[in-house]
Amino acid sequence: MTENRNVAAVDGESAELAALRRCILAVVPAVPPEHIHPDRSLAQLGCNSIDRAEILVMAAGELAVATPVDGIHEDSDLDSLAALLRESR
Amino acid sequence: MTGRCGIQALHVYAGLARVPALEVFAGRGLDPERFGNLMMRDRSVCLPFEDTVTNAVNAARPLVDRIGQAARDRVELLVVCTESGLDYSKSVSSYVHEHLGLGRHCRLLEAKQACYSTTAALQLALGYVASGVSPGALALVVAADIPLADAEAGYAEPATGTGAVALLVGDRPEVLAVDPGAFGTYSFETFDTARPGPQLEVADVDRSLAAYLDCLKHSVLHYLDRVADADFATTFDYLAMHTPFVGMARAGHRRLMRELAGRSAEGIELDFTARLAPSLVYPGSVGNIFSGTLYLALASLIDHADLSSARRVGLFSYGSGCSSEFFSGIVDAGSRAALAPARIAEHLAERAELDFAEYAALIEENAACLVPRQHHKVDPGRRDELLDRVGRRGPLLVLTGIADYHRQYDWI
Repeated sequence: MTENRNVAAVDGESAELAALRRCILAVVPAVPPEHIHPDRSLAQLGCNSIDRAEILVMAAGELAVATPVDGIHEDSDLDSLAALLRESR
Repeated sequence: MTGRCGIQALHVYAGLARVPALEVFAGRGLDPERFGNLMMRDRSVCLPFEDTVTNAVNAARPLVDRIGQAARDRVELLVVCTESGLDYSKSVSSYVHEHLGLGRHCRLLEAKQACYSTTAALQLALGYVASGVSPGALALVVAADIPLADAEAGYAEPATGTGAVALLVGDRPEVLAVDPGAFGTYSFETFDTARPGPQLEVADVDRSLAAYLDCLKHSVLHYLDRVADADFATTFDYLAMHTPFVGMARAGHRRLMRELAGRSAEGIELDFTARLAPSLVYPGSVGNIFSGTLYLALASLIDHADLSSARRVGLFSYGSGCSSEFFSGIVDAGSRAALAPARIAEHLAERAELDFAEYAALIEENAACLVPRQHHKVDPGRRDELLDRVGRRGPLLVLTGIADYHRQYDWI
């Protein structure tokens, strides 16, 4: 993944990952955009348990899907969360 | 019946002891950087002679005594709401009914729906009172729980309290006049928190927080869909929410103000201070008391908000598993006057302060009160030194033992 892919919406990035990226930056503005990688977990980005819940619920709202409450875990990486959101469609 | 119904009287019992949340953090070696997320000062601690029944009775008895015999005889429904049940068949309500001295023409029920059960019971009671099938009838809804949190509970332990809240429901709603028909609900199955056994509590923190936030948004949206011209930012002068820890209620408020009201961070902070913070004073000093937590928050709001004129309150109830409801009602200066006899602030200040060692030594014996046993003896006199450290208190119902599975109680 290039530096450029992490700063903003990325060409070819799934809608779910793009939503997660936006929600991470909205909920925890202190996260450097370039640290947001699909293989990183929210905990690794410094998000506490409240932040993690808020990001998932917000992303589900953006995508107009049911929140995949049962799939969230502290060590879930962004790819896994994106897959959960996709399956909720 | 066309008039308003609601809560006529409210009383809180929040235990006899407390431990500072920071003491629990230090004692368990929890990361002090995470203390700020909880936003808790103290948590109430129960004692080995307390169980679900004593908590319920110690919350409801002062209220029942205050209303007098004539009103007591009009209590036609008693619901005890708990996730700390004592028997698969015999309900906690049967013991509570006996020790409150209620009449024999009274429906008894124990309700279980995690922390949401009290709101479900309140709505059932309102329906009965408002139906007019028994004009002037009263209902008593009591939320009572015993905590199981220990070192295994991690960051939930410093935020877990003990206690009970009693609500007298009728057609003279001096504490809270509930807006008839104004509610939104949201429920689905998830395994976020559960008690599979009397001494076993399992919790998935991430799942529970996500379910709470999801339910908050969707129950509010359902309310806004059902109630004409309602707006989350402007319809409610104040808010009270289920508060497992103060930081959770704050996060829920932040989310709704950002998504439904489009407020900036600064605007959200101002709104938090104005509309939600008054409800968090008592929860921040008691901790999560499960089924009674929302109504402890309501009591805090009534004692700390500006009630110089009538105010509309939005209330959010959440129970793991999960089910939720957002509803509303009116409070005013009369609400504070009606709540004054409960002396909640004084009651909280009178609790004995424990250090971590004293608190930790009580946990195992406390949780044992929920275990079914054929025979068991409890000697409240063993705790006289601790009781001497409690400030003013009234008569207290205590568990003295179990004889052939039948729980025995006495007043001290």
